[in-house]
Amino acid sequence: MQLYPLKLVTVVGETVIMDDIAKEGQQLGASGYTLSEVVGQGSRSARNVIVGASKTMKCEFVVPMDLAEKILKHVSYTYFEHYACIAWLSDVQVVRGEAYVAK
Amino acid sequence: MLTIPCATLCWHIPALFAVFNAEQLGRIVESLERNLLTPIPLCFVLGLICTQIHGGIKIPKELYLAIAIFLLMSIGFIGGHELAHEYQEHGISTIWKPALATLVLGCLTPITSYVVLHYLGRLSIADSAGIAAHYGSTSAVTYAVANSFVEQTQHPANSFLPTLVTILECPGIAIALVLGAALSARERATKASASGAPVRESKLGEALYEVMTGQSIMLMAGLLVIGFISTLFMDTKGFQPFYDFFQSKGMLFRGALCIFLLEMGLVAGERLGDLRKVGPFLVAFGIVMPLIHGFAGVYLGHLAGLNLGGCTVLGAIVASASYIAAPPAVRLTLPEANPTLSITAALAITFPFNIAFGIPIYFEMAKWVGAT
Repeated sequence: MQLYPLKLVTVVGETVIMDDIAKEGQQLGASGYTLSEVVGQGSRSARNVIVGASKTMKCEFVVPMDLAEKILKHVSYTYFEHYACIAWLSDVQVVRGEAYVAK
Repeated sequence: MLTIPCATLCWHIPALFAVFNAEQLGRIVESLERNLLTPIPLCFVLGLICTQIHGGIKIPKELYLAIAIFLLMSIGFIGGHELAHEYQEHGISTIWKPALATLVLGCLTPITSYVVLHYLGRLSIADSAGIAAHYGSTSAVTYAVANSFVEQTQHPANSFLPTLVTILECPGIAIALVLGAALSARERATKASASGAPVRESKLGEALYEVMTGQSIMLMAGLLVIGFISTLFMDTKGFQPFYDFFQSKGMLFRGALCIFLLEMGLVAGERLGDLRKVGPFLVAFGIVMPLIHGFAGVYLGHLAGLNLGGCTVLGAIVASASYIAAPPAVRLTLPEANPTLSITAALAITFPFNIAFGIPIYFEMAKWVGAT
């Protein structure tokens, strides 16, 4: 089986910004994303502002390195100053990885 | 630094009550007892107590969301039904004045809140505008509790009050956000030109769109239209099952409201610890501002021809602060505003104050201005 070396960009932060981050990641070139509810606490404490919604969400993109850097730069520039948010990059080996590489 | 404005605001509390004589104050105390010792506020208190003693009550998120949907649909549907009756009997002659008064109040309350917070409380532009957006909008649950209260006192509100709730929901948030976004953008542009950094794009349009198309407005306004149309075009027999399901005097609505208030007590209880962070000025603001806005609502409601129950409910919804529609919109538009301040003020101070003390006080205010 052929595995493709790609990057996994993970952004964890306030629920209120996660839809925007997913959308903006796609606008930058990501072919898709995964959004999920997570539980945790960070240095800014829980800053959830939506009553009845989960406090924190996670957004993940599988992308090539150059795009991963673009997404991380965009997220850190746009959201880090005022929102409870963290982002990191990890190496992944992906099956059918050609689907994630821009043609 | 906050001591002087805080003292000024606190000074106004006895001044506001000084207008009532001993007999009226006695009636307020009686109304408070009548209001507090009923299941709806008591469920809220149970939620508060549970968080303080780390009790085990947990309302599943899905149940909370389902109940919120039911309450909003019910308010909208019954409102539309009653509005249709009102329209059939009187046309728009009895509705336009209260609707206009509500619109004026919806435009004024964010401005008064902003002025008090920024100039008296010395809060930043973003924090002042953020909190003003919460206080300019309204809380549908406060409406439901106020409506239950006036029904219990045998003074039901005018039938078209749900229409006024939907009118009040949007303009307050919009005005405060536009004000805050414009002033903050100017401040940011000055800072950016000094540091050479690019100016961040505002999300005002997106936030306003989300408010207008958010769940509260869509459900309440949508069901209001559905209730209105179906009342006019359906025969009574066919309409009856829908009416029975949604009607606000029904056991389903009040039971659901108890569960909702229990959850609100749990959420507000989690925020009680933040009271220390927000400071005495905001605590005083969260109590005094609703009284002032509530009085304006009662008075204008009376001038617009609302009955005793109607004036009370309008006072309560004008005095209430939004904690569902406003917070995400403020967070998106004014990210530099501290959400702890606005949510704690709206949810942990004003909401409990209104459901426990505010509503009976607005009821007595309505009597005092001569509403019958």
